[in-house]
Amino acid sequence: MSGGTLRARGGAFLAPLIAAAVLFAAAAHAQKPIVVGASISETGPLAVDAAYHLKGIQLGIADANAHGGWLGRKLELKLYDDQSNPGTAVRLYTRLITEDKVDLLVGPYSSGISQAVAPLMNKYEHVTPMPGASLPAIFSAGNKWAFQLLPPATGYLDGMLPMTKAMGAHKIAILQAQLSFTLACGQARLDQAKALSMDVVYSTTYAMPPPDFSSIALAIKSANPDVVIACSYYPDAVGLAQALHRIGYAPKFFAETIGPAEDQFISALGPITNRIVSNTSWWPSLKTHDNAGFIARYKAMFHEDPDYHSAATYAAMQVLGAAVKATKSLDQEKLRAWMATHEVETVQGMFKSGPTGLAMGFEQYMFQIQNGKRLLVWPAKNEQAKPQVPYTGQ
Amino acid sequence: MIVLQLVVNGVLLGGTYILLAQGLNLVFGVMGIVNLAHGSIITVAGLFTYWFVTHTDQSPLWLIPCVFVVMLAVGAVLQRLLLEPLAKLGTRRELLSLMVTFGLSYVIVETALNFFGSQYVSLPNLQETWSVGGLAINEALVAAGVLGALISGCLHVWLHYTPSGKALLATSQNATGAVTCGIDVRRMRGISFAIGSALAGIAGVLLILILPLSAPTADTLTILSFVIVALGGLGDYKGAVYAGLLLGLVQSGVGYYLGGDVEVVVPYLLLITFMVLRPQGLGQAAR
Repeated sequence: MSGGTLRARGGAFLAPLIAAAVLFAAAAHAQKPIVVGASISETGPLAVDAAYHLKGIQLGIADANAHGGWLGRKLELKLYDDQSNPGTAVRLYTRLITEDKVDLLVGPYSSGISQAVAPLMNKYEHVTPMPGASLPAIFSAGNKWAFQLLPPATGYLDGMLPMTKAMGAHKIAILQAQLSFTLACGQARLDQAKALSMDVVYSTTYAMPPPDFSSIALAIKSANPDVVIACSYYPDAVGLAQALHRIGYAPKFFAETIGPAEDQFISALGPITNRIVSNTSWWPSLKTHDNAGFIARYKAMFHEDPDYHSAATYAAMQVLGAAVKATKSLDQEKLRAWMATHEVETVQGMFKSGPTGLAMGFEQYMFQIQNGKRLLVWPAKNEQAKPQVPYTGQ
Repeated sequence: MIVLQLVVNGVLLGGTYILLAQGLNLVFGVMGIVNLAHGSIITVAGLFTYWFVTHTDQSPLWLIPCVFVVMLAVGAVLQRLLLEPLAKLGTRRELLSLMVTFGLSYVIVETALNFFGSQYVSLPNLQETWSVGGLAINEALVAAGVLGALISGCLHVWLHYTPSGKALLATSQNATGAVTCGIDVRRMRGISFAIGSALAGIAGVLLILILPLSAPTADTLTILSFVIVALGGLGDYKGAVYAGLLLGLVQSGVGYYLGGDVEVVVPYLLLITFMVLRPQGLGQAAR
């Protein structure tokens, strides 16, 4: 028997084995889950709203997996807690990209933390939907890889001043927490007041975690505004409402940006929440794509109602899913190019990116708490009830 | 009228601060250690109060005696197990006790996160506001302020007019001298930590009625309590009363006239000012 024959026989023997190994490896790769990475504020001052943010991602992953995943692969979440700290979030997103080497990323909760991590997306060229980033400055010239999945912060409560002016209001008090989103929102409302020729009789900023609001409430009472607008997060929204109540003062109109959308806001404060107005980018009654299905699946999974934070992160997963399916790829450049040029119908409305990643298609709404229920009161085309005035503080 | 309202608010806020700080102050006075777990005990008591009220629909005030007794026992056990062994270590004791209480605060906060979650919570109880001669006076702030004053009064009576209190006061002033007088200093250390923990527990029950709390709030409360204790003169319980009232009044005025940003830094500005001009604090005792 010649050596050549032996080699030929060996080759004939090994070929199926190698082919089987390659097929096995390919099959194993096909089964390897797509890892979606995120760092969310599970603890710290932002934790209440961030919990909804996380649940939207979790539901998006569960829904994708229920339909066989993306590209034939299941999805898996790699999650860290940034403790509401931008510095920690930067470290964790760096870890997700460079050490964990996740396939896809979803942005963190809050504009401040998103602003801190957005440069990483551009540095590492990792496409990232940002469902917690309402601050427009994040999506300025030079940004290429981060996509806004919320309406811009400047639009929060932008219906409040026109609506109240039409009802005779003229004097305004504006409070802003010292965080990127709330400052952007507050400045926009101050500019809007000027444009509408309304008087800003009191304006202040405060640090987070929030202070005792007794003195600020007293200062508001002294200024006696018709409208109080607080560009707030949850704990300060609660603190301010409590403080106004404690000094027995109720402005005719009272609005807070973040906080009133959460169920615990009503349970924590009781009847003093009645007639508080707030802002939302999503609502259960909207006829957006698959909205009813989203609500039903969310309730089944978490035994509670979703809020607009959950809708924003769920929309982020819808956009990512659409991009992955359309490009049949996890290639970051292909995904980025697709998301920059395509529209996606989501539960939150139409995703449409501007040239620098700024959201162009989402809308803003305002709701009012009326006897323990939240009802849309603005814009008129979506209203479920007329706004009730005055705010009574009890 | 505004100035009067600011004074009332400041005094009531000061009462809350006194309540926050007295437990930490007592522990420092007798044991010479800064209990870095103080804020976590306050926070856990507050979160437990939230859990109790939302599950039983009872008034949170019912919890005050129960929390006092339970935290008295818990404090005594923690002191015996974790801090008393350090007493033999001489000068290393102070640093090690800082590390132990720092570790303890982490354990308490992490346990609280697991039990109560990370969300900010607050209670709608005691939110009535009374109008007295044009002044608005809130039920929860009055409860905290009155209890703060009551506790300081009880501490004063106990420390000055009872044998055990005098023994504790003697230990805080001069531990070696106390030993030579036959005072069981070890027992005094146990009592002080137990009472300090119990006072922190009561502060937590009342604080949840005034401010939203979450497990990570613990660090902020420890720092705030320490600032009050330092302003008063470390270990000086009368000084802590003055410091709590001063801080409440100054914050009340500053918050009104200068806004929320400046109000938040007031405790630290006051602390720096006092460290430069009157390092012994507001009280009489200079340690």
